[in-house]
Amino acid sequence: MNAAPLATAVLGGVAALDAEPVAQTLFSQPLVTATVLGFVWGDWATAFEVGIVLQVLAASTLPVGSRTPEDYATGGVVGVGVALALANHEAFTIAKQGCAMLGVLVGMVVATAGIPLLKWKRRTNEGLARWCEEAVRAGDASAPARAQGAAIVLSFALGVTYTALCLGVGIVLLDRVAAQESLRLAHAWTLARPLWLGLGLAQVLSAFLQRRLTRGVAFGAALVATWMFLMIGGH
Amino acid sequence: MSRIQPSDLRRIAWRTLLLQAAFNYERQQGIGWAYALDPALRRIYPDDALRRERLAEHTAYFNTQPTLASVALGAALAAIGDRLFWFTLRPFAACLGVLFAVLGSPFGALALLLSYNAIHLVLRFTGVRIGHAAGPGVLGSGLRDRLEAMVRRLGVLGCVLIGVLVAALLAPGGEPATMTFQATLIGGLLFGMLAALRSRPSPTQWALGLGALCLLAGFRR
Repeated sequence: MNAAPLATAVLGGVAALDAEPVAQTLFSQPLVTATVLGFVWGDWATAFEVGIVLQVLAASTLPVGSRTPEDYATGGVVGVGVALALANHEAFTIAKQGCAMLGVLVGMVVATAGIPLLKWKRRTNEGLARWCEEAVRAGDASAPARAQGAAIVLSFALGVTYTALCLGVGIVLLDRVAAQESLRLAHAWTLARPLWLGLGLAQVLSAFLQRRLTRGVAFGAALVATWMFLMIGGH
Repeated sequence: MSRIQPSDLRRIAWRTLLLQAAFNYERQQGIGWAYALDPALRRIYPDDALRRERLAEHTAYFNTQPTLASVALGAALAAIGDRLFWFTLRPFAACLGVLFAVLGSPFGALALLLSYNAIHLVLRFTGVRIGHAAGPGVLGSGLRDRLEAMVRRLGVLGCVLIGVLVAALLAPGGEPATMTFQATLIGGLLFGMLAALRSRPSPTQWALGLGALCLLAGFRR
């Protein structure tokens, strides 16, 4: 039991690395980290329920202009982690849906609250960059490599710490709520899940459409054709 | 001044993976750029003092789309890079992964990673060679046209993919979803299309607001 929260915190650090400093392979995306966490906690259903919604919302968060986007790398890990930790105590599906509702909300709050942390980290890197230039001019050609290493360590440490803190606070604050209000939370989930999915998919669709009628026709045709295939093919 | 070797280009390509390690507001990717360029500088400037001077200059402000930085290093790609990777390929890969997950497959994450990195990592590692071979004329070599075509095709495919995904949500496993689900999904889509007309509030802020309303609805029951 103790290994799962620890692994979740470490995954938060790894996701923080992939999100910006290292490679950006999309390993930090909520669906990917949810898959890993589903394996770690042994509850794929809850992990995917939360991971799918957070992934759609993360996909709708496009880096426009100078705005710092929400940090869904750690938000995704914390959201899924909190949901899994709360659902671990619940036996019934409806109760697990309530935990999923809390998990998505926590994920979004953590992602939003992570913006100032991201900005702080970037400002810290400014000092590192100035040090690096001075060190190189002073004769230390290895300074860029050392600066990169320091920045990576900082990102990982921040990711682990922030994930662990939010995971702990989330579980402590919401454990009783999840147990006592599971029916109400499950009802809220039946409304929120499709609303969130629709909102996120519409944002992504809008970015793809680019106000071109032909692309709208492509979307409509694919929707109708797939729906008919599923409905007719399923009978 | 020595010629840059293929091994130098390979080292530069690997180093581009850390382009954003020390990202900051003042110099953005400056440190990462200098770090990545260092193998080439070692080859070009045998004199240590001169190389360090050039290296220090390259720690200044630099920013581009990280994947296409390879091409820039090898050879003003930020705009096409942003449109291709951040605004098109990343949401496309995300939706593909979600589709797999919605259809009940455990391979959604794999589909997401493969569909994105098949283009991303290939371009990262071949971009240095392409940019080095083409030089400043890299944008005139047809690369920009090919990237623009990729953006257009992925945009159309993305619309089709979302159509398939919405249909899969409306009729999971061939059975229609509940009326509540269908109605709220369509409501969410319509609301999202309206919300997309403005950049603020962000989608997450809208989602938090909708979540709060759903909690109110659930607790009033």
